[in-house]
Amino acid sequence: MLVLRRRAGESLLIGDDIEIEMLELTPHGAKIGIRAPRDTVVLRKELKIIQEQNARAARGPESSDLGKALEKFSRNNSRFCPPTDKQSEN
Amino acid sequence: MPLVETKYFGTMTYEDESIFDFPLGLPAFEQEKRFVFIEIAEYSPLVFLQSLNQPSLCFLALPVLAVDPDYGFDLSNEDRATLELPQSAARGDGILALALLSLHDGFPATANLMAPVVVNVATRRALQAIRADQRYSHQHPLPQHGAVLPCEGAC
Repeated sequence: MLVLRRRAGESLLIGDDIEIEMLELTPHGAKIGIRAPRDTVVLRKELKIIQEQNARAARGPESSDLGKALEKFSRNNSRFCPPTDKQSEN
Repeated sequence: MPLVETKYFGTMTYEDESIFDFPLGLPAFEQEKRFVFIEIAEYSPLVFLQSLNQPSLCFLALPVLAVDPDYGFDLSNEDRATLELPQSAARGDGILALALLSLHDGFPATANLMAPVVVNVATRRALQAIRADQRYSHQHPLPQHGAVLPCEGAC
């Protein structure tokens, strides 16, 4: 990773048409201005991570496998229940 | 009573009180703005977030406190505004926070603690609040056996 030190008001250029400007720096965060072509996607990294994770979460389990996938959530399954006194003695 | 076609439970009736508005949708599902929350006693405390207009879209979720009893978070002012939550509302007051689950055959089950679905219970407005800190994982492992804490009342 290339590491640079910049002050407020200073800029970076990435390629020919992307400019990153440091607008404001505080102990709580940096305010950054980005000048880029319209078709360049700029995303907070955590948003991209959550988009991908949501797509994974939306996929499954299949409807026919629900019972099996949720076995451990079922109230009828003793593994779900907190151990009773008797079990903890064993 | 209105009907909803669900991914897991066929056609169900629902009450308006079970509908939650996601004015921003969810990341990757920005068009999905209304979900019915389905709770099935057998699978409690699990909650099914069924899209109202896409039957094949249903998220499975657990209250964050059932996944991690010590879970805590602050909402940004923007998120509070979207939820129509008064700035003065105490932390956690009237709020439900759910972690979306990823459950796939052959993969460990995980919960997304990095971006909980947060609900203003009074207004039934909801959003997925993305944490920028690194404290919690978007793939927090769920225990393989013995599983989640029963979660009565508080969450």
